[in-house]
Amino acid sequence: MTRVDAILESLARDMARRVSRRGLLGSLGALLFGAATLPLLPVARGAPAGEPAGGTPADPGDPKTCEYWRHCAIDGFLCSCCGGSTHSCPPGTEPSAITWVGTCHNPGDGRDYIVSYNDCCGKASCGRCLCNRNENDKPLYMPFASNDYNWCAGSQVGIAYNCSTARIVGVAK
Amino acid sequence: MGACLAAAAALTARAQLPAEPLSAEQLASQPSPHWVWVNDINFFSMPDGQAFLVDGDSGRMLGMLSTGSSFNSVILPKSGDVIYSPESYFSRGTRGTRTDVVTLYDTKRLQPLGEVVIPPKRSSNMSMSAAAALTDDERFLVIYNFTPAQSVSIVDVRARKFVGEIDTAGCALVYPSGPRTFFSVCGDGAVLLVTLGEAGKLANRVRSPALFDAIKDPLTEKAVRVGDTWYFASFEGTVYPIHATPRGVELAAKWPLVTAAEQAQGWRTGGLQHLAMHRPSGRLFAIMHRGGPETHKEPGTDIWVYDLATRKRVQQISTQHKAGSIAVSQDDKPLLFTCFIESNVLDIYDAISGRYLRSVDSLGQTPTVMVTR
Repeated sequence: MTRVDAILESLARDMARRVSRRGLLGSLGALLFGAATLPLLPVARGAPAGEPAGGTPADPGDPKTCEYWRHCAIDGFLCSCCGGSTHSCPPGTEPSAITWVGTCHNPGDGRDYIVSYNDCCGKASCGRCLCNRNENDKPLYMPFASNDYNWCAGSQVGIAYNCSTARIVGVAK
Repeated sequence: MGACLAAAAALTARAQLPAEPLSAEQLASQPSPHWVWVNDINFFSMPDGQAFLVDGDSGRMLGMLSTGSSFNSVILPKSGDVIYSPESYFSRGTRGTRTDVVTLYDTKRLQPLGEVVIPPKRSSNMSMSAAAALTDDERFLVIYNFTPAQSVSIVDVRARKFVGEIDTAGCALVYPSGPRTFFSVCGDGAVLLVTLGEAGKLANRVRSPALFDAIKDPLTEKAVRVGDTWYFASFEGTVYPIHATPRGVELAAKWPLVTAAEQAQGWRTGGLQHLAMHRPSGRLFAIMHRGGPETHKEPGTDIWVYDLATRKRVQQISTQHKAGSIAVSQDDKPLLFTCFIESNVLDIYDAISGRYLRSVDSLGQTPTVMVTR
């Protein structure tokens, strides 16, 4: 079992306990997972906004392609093709605050990274570079690991889905 | 000369077709069991969901519905002349005030009969049959919410009123299990059994022990039902029959879709709606592909058919095109329908012989799940 799997399992069991005792606190647990728990993981800083990712020995590949290593569990239009990047939203769209995470292997440094696929919201589908890969993807009943949700649900601007980012939030092992 | 005049008169008569009044079609009062609704989330333009009605016997498109943002699927009650459709709208198309409704459509004219406003919380997700369902008595419509807090909205479809919201924290989707009961599947492998009271309010909510290992071999959400049993399939191809009644839920004996040798060859079931059930004959249809782990959403060009009584595979059907979704009509001469979100072609087969019958092209943009009566 990978570390992320262990985290997910522990979270699921924790949620189960919360639900049986305190009802709504369980869903708050799910809500807080993306917002609060992720920053507690060992965080490697991604490239600053505006600086493109990829195309370097340490971060090989083209973020405009589905095959790019960070896209191992993505499902949607690549923001890198839509006026954004792996870690920024296209102009006029709003990043979803919470989202699902995948664990992707970086062939550049041999490490596994936790990648957060925040959606960009408030405009209709970008329609470019559609990509669906499902490594470690889980069904809808495990929201924090499912790429089938529209995570714009958690944004202020509503559920109009534009594209998906693929930002690094930490090293998985 | 006379013959020439007669020919000229015939030509003149042929040139003058009668003027035609313009009207709108109405569908037959009694829907055919071979009619299929093909739902389309319209992934490339999600504010504009659509549902297409096709006659499987002729391959003719009969009509459509416009169903708003992040559309999932229409819901067809067994009785009555109405179609239910949970929908979302924004006052400015993609922005502004969000309003969620259950729209009721007339089955003959395909026009809205009315609507019930529900909380603007319905889950926006890749289309799933279990995103909303009627209780078995068809009195209440239960709609899964994700904000990302998880709950369901309850609509009294007889009174056409929103009744209330029930918290399902940690658990997702809606699987009916009795006149006033349903369950949701939880992230730790348990299910949450919810009972509604006479007025549709929460009467009881019980969480089962874990029925499956959600980490090691998760069940897909795309279960099919016959009688009191919901048949789920795991990523690895094990069938989990969950016996669900108002009294509770129980996991019956599991059985494999694939032999050890087939599993070693990479055979898996997968797709967006990868299981279908012909209830009268107790036959389970599964889309199969060779792909190994992590391919639970891959389409296939093989459909394997199982007899539920013997748990044996009784038939293998090769499809014309890749299939990600399948549905079967419930009559005694059933049709098998297949489609795939990455094309917009509906293929139609004889579900008993497996013989390919016809295709319907240019049906929407990204067809997702299909519904038959």
